Formats: sequence, structure tokens, C-alpha cells
Amino acid sequence: MINGFKGKSKARVVTTAAITAAALVATIGLGTSTSSAAFKSADVNTGKLVYWFWGESDIPGSTAWMQAAIKKYQALHKGLTIELVPQNSDTLQGAFETTAQSKSGPDIAMQWATLPVLTPVWRGQVSSLKGLVAPSEMANWLNTSENVSGGESWAMPLYLLGQPFVWNKALFKKAGLNPDKGPTTWKEFLADCAALKKAGITPVVMGDKDGFFGSWFQGTIGTQNLNSVKELQEVYAGKAKFTDSKYSDYLTKLAELKAKGYINNDVTSIDLTQGWQAFAQKKGAMTWTTDGNVATWIKAGMGADLGVQSVPKVGTGKLASFYTATQSISAYITSWSKNKQAAANFLVWLHQPENVKSWYTATGSFPADKRFSATLIKDPVMKALYKLNTLPNQLWAQNYAPPQVDSQGLQPAAQGVLAGTSTAKQAAAAIQKAIDAWRTQQPKDLAAYKKWAGV
Amino acid sequence: MRKLFGSTYRHAFLIILSLASVYPVWFIFQTSLKTNKEYLLNPLALPLHPVLSNFKETFTSFPVAHWALNSVIIAIFSVAGAMFIALLASYAMVFSKMRGVNFLLSTNIALMVIPPVTLVIPMFMLMVNLHLINTLPSVIIFYIGLFVPFSVFFLTNFMKSVPYELIEAAKIDGLTPFAILRRIVVPLSSAALFTLMLVNIIYAWNELLIALVFLQQQESRTLMSGLSLFQGRYSINQPLVMAGAFVSVLPILLMYIFGQRFFVKGMMAGIGK
Amino acid sequence: MVLIILLVFIYPLIAVIRNSFYSGSISNLSFIGTANYVNLLRDEVFVHAILNNIKLLLTVPITTAISLSAALILYENIRGWKLYRVILFLPYIIPAAVVGLSFSYLLQGNGILNTALRNLHLNFAALDWIGSTTLSIYSIGAVIIWSQFGFGVVVLTASLLSLPTEVSEAALVDGATRWQRQRFVIIPQIKETVQFLMVLQAITALAWVFPYIYTITKGGPANSSMVMDLYIWQYGFSLGAVGMASAAAVYLLLLSGVLIFIYSRMRKRQSDI
Repeated sequence: MINGFKGKSKARVVTTAAITAAALVATIGLGTSTSSAAFKSADVNTGKLVYWFWGESDIPGSTAWMQAAIKKYQALHKGLTIELVPQNSDTLQGAFETTAQSKSGPDIAMQWATLPVLTPVWRGQVSSLKGLVAPSEMANWLNTSENVSGGESWAMPLYLLGQPFVWNKALFKKAGLNPDKGPTTWKEFLADCAALKKAGITPVVMGDKDGFFGSWFQGTIGTQNLNSVKELQEVYAGKAKFTDSKYSDYLTKLAELKAKGYINNDVTSIDLTQGWQAFAQKKGAMTWTTDGNVATWIKAGMGADLGVQSVPKVGTGKLASFYTATQSISAYITSWSKNKQAAANFLVWLHQPENVKSWYTATGSFPADKRFSATLIKDPVMKALYKLNTLPNQLWAQNYAPPQVDSQGLQPAAQGVLAGTSTAKQAAAAIQKAIDAWRTQQPKDLAAYKKWAGV
Repeated sequence: MRKLFGSTYRHAFLIILSLASVYPVWFIFQTSLKTNKEYLLNPLALPLHPVLSNFKETFTSFPVAHWALNSVIIAIFSVAGAMFIALLASYAMVFSKMRGVNFLLSTNIALMVIPPVTLVIPMFMLMVNLHLINTLPSVIIFYIGLFVPFSVFFLTNFMKSVPYELIEAAKIDGLTPFAILRRIVVPLSSAALFTLMLVNIIYAWNELLIALVFLQQQESRTLMSGLSLFQGRYSINQPLVMAGAFVSVLPILLMYIFGQRFFVKGMMAGIGK
Repeated sequence: MVLIILLVFIYPLIAVIRNSFYSGSISNLSFIGTANYVNLLRDEVFVHAILNNIKLLLTVPITTAISLSAALILYENIRGWKLYRVILFLPYIIPAAVVGLSFSYLLQGNGILNTALRNLHLNFAALDWIGSTTLSIYSIGAVIIWSQFGFGVVVLTASLLSLPTEVSEAALVDGATRWQRQRFVIIPQIKETVQFLMVLQAITALAWVFPYIYTITKGGPANSSMVMDLYIWQYGFSLGAVGMASAAAVYLLLLSGVLIFIYSRMRKRQSDI
């Protein structure tokens, strides 16, 4: 191989070439937004939009649909290009926070509703939809209240998402349980688990390597002793303690599941989607999942074996009757975008009736738009899910936790319990510590949170 | 008899080590040849019906070729820059009668120990302010800075073994310092330089943290950071992820298989003392 | 050279120290004095991270022992030693991100390794390698050893081969056994190289393990495998708490500084002998 450093003059040439080339590359890299602000043409729908998209984990097939939709939209607006950049679940928040620090990045980004959207809002990273989207259009969107702060709407919903509790009817039958009846109380749940275990079937199968299950368990089981959303907000704002059993009793129940061997033994070494994969392979009888995955399982032929419902009732607060649903991932326009109106127009177009319909046909999940007609849903399981999603009382509690508290508190604490190394009490204390840490480290976020929650 | 016994154990030890060395890499390759269905049914065994579709899909679902190009550009320029600077610096430190050389060398060792992650946040902000973020030069500059201390350490160590009489003789002959560098020192150090170049290239190619943070946009990503995106996106399609992983390793692997003779020679020249 | 060092090292170091006295995200800083340093020590996760890095230092003697044993065997001209050397070096060139990917599947609770162990009726050995809070960091350590030992093999073989053969031959004539020969004659001669190797590996274990943790466990479960460079990345980038991350970086630097101090003391003592 050639060693190219024979002599300073040659090296100098190489370096000059290097610097020139580097400069070239820099210019190529920098000059991404071609037309943008300087181009005050009549048609505002020109230029380039970068769209950081997430959805596949909730709704398999959503990325493909979005890509097709973009193609269609670009054909309608020849001067516009939209670049779709799919994001990962476990770096969704981190990647955006990182790019936000450079005040550059995507034009449209997505985060889960409420706190994950409002945190960037409070940090000045998001453009308000006021002025960009006509109120008459917005009136058709569902669940927009989840992203309201300071009286303004900040993000657009795409689909409705429920978090059903699903069981495999065939496996229930095998264990001698009534296949059409899912557990409705904690006692029943434990009894069903015992019967399944006896029959050699893993009762609950989940993946928690990425931590989300811990947050979901808190959201579905852990809020059932509370009476209002405000009580939930109080614990994050510091007005109540998480170690109080009305907030942390769910950890005891999680520990119970683990101790009795009712949950798969590799739960902490596989991630969420792999856990669902295991359920689809009939390696477990019950799981927490999202509508989109149920739709996929129906498509794969499992429909007759699927039972869906809300989680068992374990608490006595008013929130016990709430179903865990949300508009899940919300799209917003960044504050540094040079094509805000073009971005807004694209988002509004996604909600037009024909697109709403095609979304449903392609993915089987429910668009967050009033113009979607429920009569299009034919499958009985999906019908049941839609009914659950449109119940009047909904709460996706995880969305009310500041992202830092979620990832540093709720999630590791649950992992500790599932790995068998923390007691429920220790886990609760750890979560409280995480809440305190957030309040100290992010005083400005805390102030905004208090103002928004009215606590 | 004893000798034979010992020999068997030694062979066994090496064989076990070799199998352990190869299997994880082989596993990646083997899995990438399976369809997802086959993998789920039988993760351990050899593929019954090997397919190449995963490789095709790797290239179509993400701009993998573009990312590879980015990795190549970064590797070439950062290594070239670092080597150039280190070569001059080492030469000056060893052969010119500079004062305070020992101090510089000690400082140099201290710099080697600084973990890159401690420097990342301020460097990130610097690049943002210079409007270089998400461009390849930001990473290139950072890598050059990171490679220089180790390169200087390596080269000064080696150059010390160049007989000073040669240099003196050349000086008497009237050669300028640069000519001495070019005609005498560099040819003698070619093996060491080559080794250093390869070590730095491997590092630049494999680096994840800085590439992940500085280059977040689709078109500026490197292969390694793109792989992590890939992994998250297709986590339930293990064969596809493995295909992506294999593709990202392939250039280095090929370089190694064909160039390992030179590489080892160079290592021996540079380290053996 | 000075320019680039200033840019890449000095400026960030000063910025890091400055930032460590603030809280909030980078666009939102507010001064809080030494609160970050105090809070870090109170944060169990951070303390655990430091302990984990120290645990990872255990990989250094193990890796060195494996490399040394392999090198000694290869040195004795065992049949096919060149091929062995090529194979054993393979893990080193595979990028950490890909290594992590492969092992994250191999080490799952019901993954390849455990399935194989169960097939061999060794069920008791099929532990929860990455899902257990007590095992996770050690599993990472094992992966690091796998990845790094090849480097030592090549370096030490090179070093051994450059030794003058008369010394060991003389020992043979004197009737020394192979073990005696190795221990008292050969190894002391390559002591400096071994030390150099160990320092490099210690530096790696302290500050260059990010890609392994990030791809295999992300610091979990329950932060049991958290290490300092992941902690800094998480707080600095994922969560935008720059002050905490900077203070953590300062702690990491101090720890590395201690290590370097020990090493230079060791060398000084050696050159005094």
C-alpha cells in the first residue's frame, strides 16, 4: 500500500486539497434549504420540508402510508420536496432535544402528546398553530386538547390510539378458562394467571428492555386510585409524594406478578416490539399493546383468537374507569423552520377526508378526525377497540410525566422490580427521587408545568 | 509425551479462542441470509434456504450507500489531517533541538487520557455557532484533534529508534530539515506510519458517539450512526438488521482480509521494542 | 499542532468546567454554583456509574492475561500460528456498534447463547445475561474483553518476536522448564509493552465504552449497567441538562487524571531502577 507522506510539499498539497474538499462538502451540507425564505413567490408551497416521522411501533404500515402520501402531495405541488426521516422509539425525544440545541433540524417533528410535546413548546422549540391552521380545519381534529398550553394549540394529531389489554382466547381455552371473558378485577387476573401457569402457558408476555412497559403499567394500573388528572399533575409538580400508596401501589402489584412467575422470564432482556412478537407467536397469553398491533395480528389471521378490553379494575378512584387512549404521536412545526406555512398546509392536507379514509384502509387504525366514518370498520375486534377509543373518559397517564421523570424515574424503577432487584418500596422512592431531580435541574420547565396544570 | 500433552492444550486454547472470535461475526452473516420467518422458527441453525433479499432491502430502505460515502470521506480526511500534523510534530520533537520537549510529551500523554465524551458538549455548541453542525467537516476537525495525541505518542516512540548518526550525516551533507524528513525519516518509518494510518482509519470508521451527535440529518449520517437508526426501525426483523450490520462492517473486513499481512508487519515495526 | 489542540481540547475543557456550574438546558441556563457536583454525588445512578467503570477496569487484567497466554503460545511457533493471529484479531476491527448488536441478540434471556446451553443440558448456566441487574455490567465486560483481546495478541506477539533469542536459549541450556523460562526470562523483557497495553485498555474501560452500552443495554435494566460516558451523553443530549452532564464530565476527568498519575509514577519508578 502506498504511504503518501513522502515530503512536506506533497503533504501540503494533500492538506490544501483536503481543506478545499472539506469546504466543498460543507457547502453542500449547509445548502439544504434551497428556496425557502428568500423566495417570496406566490406559491408558498415550495422549498424543502424535513419531516421527522414516528409511527411504525404504534401502527405498523404507517411509514409506508406516509411515504405514499408524500409522493402524492409532491405531485400536487411541484416545487416542494418533503424528506421523511423515520425515528426510533428509544431516541425519539433525545434526538429532537439534541437537534434543538443546534436550533436546526426538521421542519416538522413528532412527539407523543402532552408533556413530550409541551416540553419543547416551553423551551421555545415549537411554532404555535395559531395563524398557520384555520380554526375551521382544526375543529375537525380529535383530542387536540391534549396539546394545548397558554390557550393555544401546538400540535396536530394523526391517529387515535388505545392501549388495550389483549388476551389469546385459544390459550385461555387450553387453560380451562372462559375464552370470551377477560379478567375484570385484580383477583380474577391473578386467578387467570395461576390457571395459565398451571397449564404450562406463560400468563403475561411483555418486553421491557426499552422501559416503556414500566410507564404503561403505571398509566393503566397505577392511576386507578386517583380521582382526577390534577392529582396526577400534583405529584409531578411536587405537591404530593409518589411514595404515597395511592400513586405507587401499582409497583407492589408488578412485584407480585414477577414473584409469582406470571410474567415471561426474559422480560428485561427483550424490547417492547419483541415482546409483542412473542405474543403473536403464541408464547404468552396476555399482553398490553396498541391498536395498530392488534390490526396487524388480525391481518396475520389471529383475529378469532383475540380478546380486547380495558385493563382489570384494581383501584377505587374515579380514574379507574378511564380508558388509556390518546392521539398518541402529534406532529408539530419547529420554531426554526423556514417553511412554516408550507408545513402547516401539508399537515392540514393529511387530514382531508380522502386521506383520512385511505389511512384507515391501509393501516386499520383510527384517524383522529371527525370526518372519519366508523361504519367503515368491519372487523368485530377493531370495532370493539374503536368503541373503547371513543369513550368519553380517556387518559394516557404517561404523557403527563415530564420526559425526564418518565425515562429516569418510571422506567428504570419498573425494570428494577421486574429484574427482581428492587422492592416496590425502593422503586417508589427512586421515582420520587427522579421527580425531585427534575424539579431541581429544570426549574424553568417546572414553572411552565405548574402554570399549565394550574397547580 | 509431556510435550505432546502441552501441545494439545495449547491448540485447544487457541481453537476455543478462535471459535469465540469468529462466531459472533458469523452469526451476523448467517442471520442476514435468513428470511424473518425462518429466523423466528430457528434462530440457531444454518439457513436452509439462504436469501439475499435482506441485503437488497438494506440499500432500498435507507440511504446506506450515501452513508458509507460519508464514512469514507470522514475517515480519509481526518486520518490524513491527523497524520500530517502528528508527523511534523513528532519529527520536530525528536530531531530538532527544541526546548521543553519532555513537557510537551507528558502533556501529550495526559491528552490521550481525556475521554472524548467530556469534550462533546462544548464542541457541539462550538460547531453550532460556527454553523458547521450536521456537516462532515465538524466531525473531521474533531477527529483530527482526537487522533493527534495518540499518533504523536506512537510516532515519537518510533522515531526515537532512528539512529541519530543518519540524521547527522544528512545534515553534514547540507540537507534541509524538510528534506531529511522526506528522504530519510519517512521511508524508515513507513511501516509504523502505515500501521498508525490503519488504526486511525478503523477508529474513524467505527466511531459512534460523535457521529451520532454531530451528524443527525439523513444525508450527513455515517454508516455507524445510520445502523442504530436501522436497528430501532426494524427491531422485529432481526435478519434485516443483521444485513445492515454486515454491510457496515464489510469494507473494513475486506480491507483487513486483503491487507492483514501489511498490517501485522507494520504493527511489529511500530511496537516491537 | 498547538492550534488544533487548543481548539479540540483546551476550549472544550474550559467550557465544560464553566457549564458545570449551571442548570437547565443549553438555551436556558441558570447559575447554581456547586449544586451540580453535590447532586451528582447524591445521585445513586451516578455513583453506580462510577462503580461500574471501576468494575470494568477488571477487564484489563483478564484481557491482558488472555492476550499474553495466546501470544506466548503463538511465539513458540505452534503450527498455523499466523492464521491464528489473523483470526484472533478479527473481533478488534469489528465496530463496537455492530459488536453490541450481535451480542444483544446472542445474550437475550431466550437468545442464542442460552438456547445453546439448554440444548447441551447446561440449564443452570443459562442466566439472564443482559436482563439481570446484577449481571448486566459483567456481561458488558465480557463483550469488551472479546472485542479488545485481539489487539493485545498482535502487539505482544510482535514484541516477543523482536526479543533477542539468545537469552531464552541460554535459559534452555541451563535446564529451565518452559514455565520457568516464560516467567523469569521472557515476560520481564516485555514488561514495558504489557504495561503500555494495560494502560491503553484501562483508558478504554473508563472512557471509550459508550457504543457497547448504548447498543446492548442502554444502561439498563434499571440503570444497572450505567457508565459515566453514557450518563454524560444521556443528561447532556437526551435530557438537555447540560450542567449536570458537564459536572459529571469533570468527575470523569479527575478519575482519568488519577489513573495517569499512577501510571507515570510507575514509569518513573521503573526508570529509576
